[in-house]
Amino acid sequence: MRTIETDVIIIGGGATGAGTVRDLSLRGIRAVLVEKDDIAFGTTGRNHGLLHSGARYAVNDLESARECISENRILKKIAAHCIEDTGGLFVTLPEDERTYHDRLLEGCRQAGIKAEEISAREAFSIEPNLNRSIIRAIKVPDGTIDPFRLAASNVLDAVEHGALILTHTRVTGVIVEGTRVAGITCEKDPGELINIRGRLVINAAGVWGQHICSLAGIELTMYPSKGSMVIIDYRINGVVVNRCRKPSDGDIIVPGDTVSLIGTTSKKIDYDKIEYLNVDDDEIEVLLRDGEKLIPNLSRTRVLRAYCGVRPLVDTPGKQAGGRSISRGIVLIDHEERDGLEGLLTIAGGKLMTYRLMAEMASDMTCLKLGIKAECSTHKQPLPGSETKISPKKHIRAFTGIPESVVGSTLYRHGQRVRNILKKDKKNYRIICECEMVTEGEVEYALKNLNVKDIVDLRRRTRIGMGPCQGELCAYRAAGLFKELGPGNQSVKSSQLLRDFLEERWKGIKPVLWGDSLREAEFTYWIYQGLFGLGDIDFTKRHGPDEGGDR
Amino acid sequence: MNYDCLIVGAGLSGLVCGIRCASEGLRTVIISGGMNALHFSSGSIDLMGYDPSGKVIQSPCRYLKQLEEKKPGHPYSKVGVKTVRESMEFFKKQCGLAGLDLHDNGEENHFHITGLGTMKPSYFSQKSVFNDRLKEAYERKDPIAVLNFDGFRDYFTALTLEQIRGLPLLRGVRITTGKITLPYYFRTERNLHEFRSIDLARVFDSEKYLPRIADEIKKAAGGARIVGLPAFIGIDNFGWIHRRLEDMTGLLIYEVPTLPPSILGMRIDRALKTRFADLGGELSAGDKVFGGEIIDGMLDHVHTENYGSTRHRSRFYVFSTGSFFSGGIRSEFNKIEEPILKLRMSGSQERSKWYSESFFDKKGHPFLSYGVDTGKTLNPYGADGKTVKNLFCVGSILAGYDPIREGSGGGVAISTGYYAAGKIISARKKADLA
Repeated sequence: MRTIETDVIIIGGGATGAGTVRDLSLRGIRAVLVEKDDIAFGTTGRNHGLLHSGARYAVNDLESARECISENRILKKIAAHCIEDTGGLFVTLPEDERTYHDRLLEGCRQAGIKAEEISAREAFSIEPNLNRSIIRAIKVPDGTIDPFRLAASNVLDAVEHGALILTHTRVTGVIVEGTRVAGITCEKDPGELINIRGRLVINAAGVWGQHICSLAGIELTMYPSKGSMVIIDYRINGVVVNRCRKPSDGDIIVPGDTVSLIGTTSKKIDYDKIEYLNVDDDEIEVLLRDGEKLIPNLSRTRVLRAYCGVRPLVDTPGKQAGGRSISRGIVLIDHEERDGLEGLLTIAGGKLMTYRLMAEMASDMTCLKLGIKAECSTHKQPLPGSETKISPKKHIRAFTGIPESVVGSTLYRHGQRVRNILKKDKKNYRIICECEMVTEGEVEYALKNLNVKDIVDLRRRTRIGMGPCQGELCAYRAAGLFKELGPGNQSVKSSQLLRDFLEERWKGIKPVLWGDSLREAEFTYWIYQGLFGLGDIDFTKRHGPDEGGDR
Repeated sequence: MNYDCLIVGAGLSGLVCGIRCASEGLRTVIISGGMNALHFSSGSIDLMGYDPSGKVIQSPCRYLKQLEEKKPGHPYSKVGVKTVRESMEFFKKQCGLAGLDLHDNGEENHFHITGLGTMKPSYFSQKSVFNDRLKEAYERKDPIAVLNFDGFRDYFTALTLEQIRGLPLLRGVRITTGKITLPYYFRTERNLHEFRSIDLARVFDSEKYLPRIADEIKKAAGGARIVGLPAFIGIDNFGWIHRRLEDMTGLLIYEVPTLPPSILGMRIDRALKTRFADLGGELSAGDKVFGGEIIDGMLDHVHTENYGSTRHRSRFYVFSTGSFFSGGIRSEFNKIEEPILKLRMSGSQERSKWYSESFFDKKGHPFLSYGVDTGKTLNPYGADGKTVKNLFCVGSILAGYDPIREGSGGGVAISTGYYAAGKIISARKKADLA
């Protein structure tokens, strides 16, 4: 069994865990992050990607609104390449309660969010696809943020500052010696057992944190709530469009990259169901019906996918005697104080917007516990890719001869790191995924630098297979490149990675299988089953190492 | 415009039907909306590849006899094994007349190697994909080199190699991979690495570069006797070019179907369209039939997008409009329908029943066998439930079979198209006699 010695162990590769490992690494503290699947696999990668201005909380939760606007300003500086500063609108429909508009304006004023009432005519000029019957509109500094890119950039920076990242590694136990936690045991795919010993363990596993605590013999109750979203196969809006009413299902449409997303539903679910979530038909109906009220031409646009995530709401002992409350805010638990168990912290609750703040809080407490004096710098230090602001135009000049769309897409996804990706060699910038303009160079960069273990991971780093065709042609190409350029000594066949990737895409296609999505799925099935016979391969037989190979 | 036979859709089934009608002197028109599914196919013709448990079928015609009793609703059972056999012979002959030679294995299936290195059972393959000399060479365990053009992104030899080594047929065979380069002698402004199969097929068709390509093949093959190349050895002149390359290299060369566009499928498309035109058939391309009127159980006329209210009339009509992909049937949030005449459909209207939980489920997906419901003679039923006597549905618009899981798409298209033409021809003859 392999044993790793470190200072701090972080469990969970979502935004919070990724932010924490980065924060600690920048402070010069040795850290290891363990994630059971891939970076941003869980809740982080399953939201609508809204860069909150805080306005959505301004009426009901001023504290969250203040946190949001403060982090909004920081993220626009440090994570510029993960963000689109689109701006946002709150619109009131004739059927909506009129007073909410005024309360929102007042809440924004109190929270320090720059919200400005504009005329309906101005709103149409900002967002021409808006429902023409809106009666009032407010402009807010909302934007969009790519959670995959954000988490991956945090991890990349941590690695460049000495951290160790173990993805596809599941925690099997928490090592407790007396009254203190001394480390964890885990299993890395496939079947490799690892012991990690450290001075402090940070549980940043989100909704899965309940399980981690139970491994340590203590109790922490999560109240999972499912949120479903629908992806529309075009970017039908340029700015974030919010419905100006009490937050409820289907009240927001967020543009992102090449698509738009309609959010969100909210359904309480049992903890034992969190691994087996499906989007229900009634959720799709309500999202499409209400989404159409904001942007009517949505009804004539193809639906691409539906997916869902779990919000991790934590049960914290209330201030009132005997009372219990469920917190939507950030929860940082020192288990020494709460349960008498040293060496374990839990950071939970909060939202994607506050991941950096949560990481800062957890890291501050870590320093306190370990007696280390080091300041947080994540609010000033830009993420890799956002180091300096360079105009796209200047970049395009530097890449003369490479199509602008290729340079633009790569720059959009990787910011300044475009220099490590695009080369003037024509093979480097050939397009592998035509929907999202992903080049071979970008695939190679991701395979070699961004902790990619399979084609699903590759998709989260590059957007390969996320466009209209959902991997129809690029999946085969990606499998081929994986074989040629990927981590050597693969124990898993590339054709199996290909099948796993298509099965993963299928999960999100199934709930919206009608119209053009069904046609596209039929075509994909023709290719991979009809043309290639992929489903007939028996992957249960182990295969020997490849002999020979390319000359 | 008065036709004997008006066919909607110029795919495999529509073209076979049109060729047979035209060959009997019927005034035949095919209205075609665009590219057909042959462009996305393997270019091999399957008749019946797998039984319901997924086991490979050796002798498809023998299997079809059992199917007649077990599944009377299957299109093969409706047209009968005798017609299926006849239609396959007819198809082979027609392709041959247009210069496309097909390999068959008597009445047994043979196998072709896919771009993933798996084996697919087929009834006909083009001679450049599989032939008797290749069969003998495989049996002799001759060494194989799997080659690709350097940078061609729609075929990866490494993926083929990974799978091919495990094939029982090739056990003990030395298999290598290699690359052929094109860039230094083929000058173009475009990024060669973004070439699709069709761009490369044009390079072969020009013949100018054949000696150089042959040299490179020889070099990359090492000591191999058999060479696999992605399928782009020409679209027009493929037979001659394939023979030339084999002569120049002294090697056996076989083609592997790649990601679309499928050069192998395009050759079939061209061969059939050439035959249809040679026989005097009329092809109206770039138009789409969107409606029509059924009067007293007979389709009276159809309308097309290009001609609006103009009524296109014919004695007989054939819908070979394809499945969901080609638009022959359509699905909405909770509805499936045949868009032109709202013909009666077979299949569930409940969306959750359309698909299987896993994409590669052994049972396939229910929606793949949805389609228009017909009687024994392939006449569909109108929205009022009455048979439309002068309309036939052929090919993948039909319900009752799963073209992919069964490996029967090609055979059903050919045999139903051929069968409908037969019905129309004999009805026409009867009318002439009267």
